[in-house]
Amino acid sequence: MIAIAGPDIPRELLLATARYAGPLDFDPERATPRASEWLESKFAPWARPLLETWAEGGYDGLDKVVFSRADDTSQRLYYYVCELQRRGLVGGPQPLNLDIAKIARPTSLDRTIAKLRELSDLLEASDDAIENAIADTNAERANAQAGQAGARVLITGSPSLNTRLADAVRSCGFSPSEVSLHDLWTDLGDPVEQGTGDPVAALGHWMYNRQSGPRGFADPARTLADKIAQAAPAAVVLWRIEEDEAQCWHLPAERAVLDQSGIPSLVLTRRDALARDGAPAEIETFLQGVAA
Amino acid sequence: MSQSVNQRSRKMLACTAEATAYQKAFGKELRRRVVEEQEPFAIVQADTPHEIFHAMDIPIITNQWWSAYISAKQLSSQYFDAMVEAGYPANSCKYCSLGLACTLANDPETAPWGGLPKPTMLVARLTCDCIQHVFGQWAEAMDTEFFPMEAPAWQDKDPAWFDHSKADWERVYQPDRIAHMVREMEDLISQLESKTGRKFDEAKFHHIMEQINVQEGYIWEAAQAIGKARPCPISIAEQMPNTMIPQWHRGSDWAVAHARKFRDQVMERIDAGLGASDNERLRLMWIGAGVWHDPGFYQSLEETLGAVFVWSMYMPFAGPAYLRDLKGDPMGALASRVASMNETLHLPPWMNGWMVSEARRCGIDAAVVLLPPDNRLSQSGTKLTAMALEEAGVPVLMIDADMVDAKIWDHDRMVAMVEEFLRHRGVA
Repeated sequence: MIAIAGPDIPRELLLATARYAGPLDFDPERATPRASEWLESKFAPWARPLLETWAEGGYDGLDKVVFSRADDTSQRLYYYVCELQRRGLVGGPQPLNLDIAKIARPTSLDRTIAKLRELSDLLEASDDAIENAIADTNAERANAQAGQAGARVLITGSPSLNTRLADAVRSCGFSPSEVSLHDLWTDLGDPVEQGTGDPVAALGHWMYNRQSGPRGFADPARTLADKIAQAAPAAVVLWRIEEDEAQCWHLPAERAVLDQSGIPSLVLTRRDALARDGAPAEIETFLQGVAA
Repeated sequence: MSQSVNQRSRKMLACTAEATAYQKAFGKELRRRVVEEQEPFAIVQADTPHEIFHAMDIPIITNQWWSAYISAKQLSSQYFDAMVEAGYPANSCKYCSLGLACTLANDPETAPWGGLPKPTMLVARLTCDCIQHVFGQWAEAMDTEFFPMEAPAWQDKDPAWFDHSKADWERVYQPDRIAHMVREMEDLISQLESKTGRKFDEAKFHHIMEQINVQEGYIWEAAQAIGKARPCPISIAEQMPNTMIPQWHRGSDWAVAHARKFRDQVMERIDAGLGASDNERLRLMWIGAGVWHDPGFYQSLEETLGAVFVWSMYMPFAGPAYLRDLKGDPMGALASRVASMNETLHLPPWMNGWMVSEARRCGIDAAVVLLPPDNRLSQSGTKLTAMALEEAGVPVLMIDADMVDAKIWDHDRMVAMVEEFLRHRGVA
């Protein structure tokens, strides 16, 4: 079985192997004594519980895990796991790293496709199986239901590791709209072009065109403005964790977008990734004011 | 808190003052070219292909050099405060962003050179996730373009890469990564030619690459000798400028001549049995970027404990990172240098493999590792390296501090911490 540990890894490729196990599962709140000895403080907070689970054999039933170059923690963790295995400190599945290049130049697109092709060969995913997976997943995309009932509160910024923020929103009678880490890693995104004759290249284009993550070149402030325009939320919570080192550079521009939108907003930065720092209570206080 | 006192380091080599003087004069000349003459220039990261700019006679301002320059003028706190006032988080990565902070502060009265004029472009490799955001915004603030370069993933993980990097660079750095970097550099050259009107001189480039091998060969030779010599002839406070300043000018006649002069002066001291300290009892390794705002830190325990910092990455890195058999393919050789300069210093197994080897080569008694709290890239690999060093019998102290942010540096506390560590671990 093959699992993933990072964003922008095309599900179609994994479905085509018939061995896809989904994203690695872990308890984000677990103790991480061994992983904390190996990983430095600025790793994204999901890395420690994942590595701890790996070290205790929690993924031994898997054959391979695909990490992603589209996220710095994911790609860096790949090298750490390889090294820990080399030194006999952990066992478990074979780590793989999918190189994803996103600079707006043909060289980066070519590389992304080439590295995806290498991975599909390694995983023995045939072109026919990939093409079929593209068709199936496109159908799933088309059938995806958008929209939720009730006044929405957009929680944006860092991906969440638990439901504490969403629960706080619900407790005030609003409907939360947020992206969890699981959502991020399994996001289907836009449809993939079908019938090209080169399904790997089609997937490569799909990966290359996903520009909204930390290694992407999309303007997060514009992305936020688009999200607000689409969702028409009653309020926005911009929440970023202490370890965010990429998107946080757009905070001034994002504040400006929020100000211009006229929508009530709460900005929470440098926060605890597990929301144990009073963020839910702050959200509740904020939303009570919005409701009033 | 008693913050950095910017203590001066003690220098012993005549060539150190010469290097510093050259760099000072170069700074003036650079300022004349880019500020007064308004020549096209680029702001570039340290791990980008400077050789291309040298071959095109396009002046460059290296971000790390500019950061160190700002930091040495005790301006970092002021600019970082300005960033926070502008709405950026206070924990944002410091090392890459001081130049951006200076630009955003927009205070010509305090800024070095009155602030930088508009460059032709900014160039950086995407070695961590903050870089494209920092450089993208910096380019926007300066109304110019950002030329990012990929930092491609690396599958060929040879812990002993440094033994093969000169002769077998195609394998060590992976053919597809090298080919990718060559294509990117060709794109860079094309854009530079288009924007500046200056042409890439292939013969000059080849000559520069050959000269760099000569230059870094001298540095490598001196590094080998320093590793064997007892006592250590010069401290890292002298190793750094005599390596780094010529490296900013790599391949130039001055750089080659200076590297030779430095090697000769190191050898003279070794032959004469002279040490950086006349009290060397402990040989220390410094892992991380230099603490530019307190260079005197490195010599602060020589008198009391005989503890001499004999190793920092800058000088010994000259061999494995720069020396390349050109094999008629200087662009490929340069690509191999650029493709992995950062990775080998910050990722396992390359970082720990090299550091343990270097500790053994240099007879290191203990290591001090810089752990910048807000910089994933600079932190990266340090814990596994510390573990590997400890396994190799080298006690390790990790200190939370930043190489350019003087705010969280307290000279007296840091010196006391190192002293306590050495005593506690039974080294001193």
